Amino acid sequence: MDLKGHGLAATMPPGWEGTISLDQGDEAFELAGEGGILRPVAHLANFPLPVDRGDFGSGAVELMRTQDVFVALLEYAPEEAGSALFAAQGLPRKLDPRRFNAASLQRGMPGQAGLQEFFTEGGRPFCLYVVLGDADDVHLQVRKVEQVLASVRIEPRP
Amino acid sequence: MTMIVGALVLIVLLLSVLVAGLLRSHATILRRLHQLGAGIDIDPGAAAVDPGAPTAGTGGAAPGRVVPRTDGTVPAPDATVPDGRMAVDVSGVGPRGEAIATRVVGVSHDTLLVFLSSGCTSCLAFWNDLGTRPLPLGTRLIVVTRGPEHESPAAVQELAPTGVTVIMSTPAHDDLRVPGSPFVVLVDGPSGRVVGEGTATSYEQVLALFLRAGDDASSEPGGKAAADRRREAKLDRLLLDAGIAPGDPSLYQSPGAPLGDGDLHDHDRDDHHDHDGFIAPLAVDAQAPAQRPDAAGPR
Repeated sequence: MDLKGHGLAATMPPGWEGTISLDQGDEAFELAGEGGILRPVAHLANFPLPVDRGDFGSGAVELMRTQDVFVALLEYAPEEAGSALFAAQGLPRKLDPRRFNAASLQRGMPGQAGLQEFFTEGGRPFCLYVVLGDADDVHLQVRKVEQVLASVRIEPRP
Repeated sequence: MTMIVGALVLIVLLLSVLVAGLLRSHATILRRLHQLGAGIDIDPGAAAVDPGAPTAGTGGAAPGRVVPRTDGTVPAPDATVPDGRMAVDVSGVGPRGEAIATRVVGVSHDTLLVFLSSGCTSCLAFWNDLGTRPLPLGTRLIVVTRGPEHESPAAVQELAPTGVTVIMSTPAHDDLRVPGSPFVVLVDGPSGRVVGEGTATSYEQVLALFLRAGDDASSEPGGKAAADRRREAKLDRLLLDAGIAPGDPSLYQSPGAPLGDGDLHDHDRDDHHDHDGFIAPLAVDAQAPAQRPDAAGPR
């Protein structure tokens, strides 16, 4: 099952589903009103994604069971591409399980662990945000995340 | 006289051969019937040996379902797989232009696919009622319209109920052979089979036909769906395998409390047992959202 839109694409492994939408947050609309454009947000998960979700998965992470994982890929404004925060090149497809912790969660949920990585690929700055449903089973769950990250494709900025 | 006696002897011999043949045929029939598990059950408590019947490892058949038998030379069908054609996962776009790929096949939950159109008058009642009646736990609702080449995304967006996944996908209509709108397809998640499909005049009727059918334990909306019953049966099996039977004192203790304190209350039992006396799937309730979802979210 393939997912494609807004310059992003991914092939869903068995059990995974996802969406690629434009950031519908208030801040995004304000930026768009000043001449900016809405930036895509991809959500990938191995559990049913609810309709109402924040960019960083609020509304979805509360529903996660221990075996569930959630991946968000958020694009930022193109002028951010040259900044130090987004200096890393390329989507990280291998993740270090030791870097997952509760402090990285945007919405702290008991038992969960998170990770944020900032990078630039194809001239597009992104934040990769991952939530694991079970902080005590990080190694196995990171393998699941890497499986879906291996299929993510980012088209270069035109 | 000799001729008559000889003829009688011959007739007796022929009849004897005929009777022997009938007895042999009868014995063959009885033997085959016995192999198939039929016959007089002298010991009602003893299970008949049936080489072709599904084994305990394959799980039990759904109530009311006739499980085909074999003569043992071929494997018996898996009794846990329901009848019905295979469904497909649903991909498409949302009314706001977002790409959506939802998993319907090979998942733990069931999915109720409601195929609607923004233009058909008979669909209006569905659009209005969707989201007003909760589905049983373990069943996911997805509304599917034809793609943007056939439907106006703005019109669909206007009709779409809050909190309901809406996917615009013409391939989903084609793959699932949807004859028109409104049309409803219920998919068994683990097997990916279509276990119910058809049309109705209202969403209320759909709930009555598909979701509460056969569930005599609940006549209220929000009753147990198939996925919920499977989860409950699995929990029951795990507990029984672990030697924990209905009524076991350990079922009524808080985590960390010492065993055998005898501090049981009747209302606790009532809260956590269903009508069969088995354990309700408390783990499901534990997954309820701790906070109200924030649609805007941090950014």
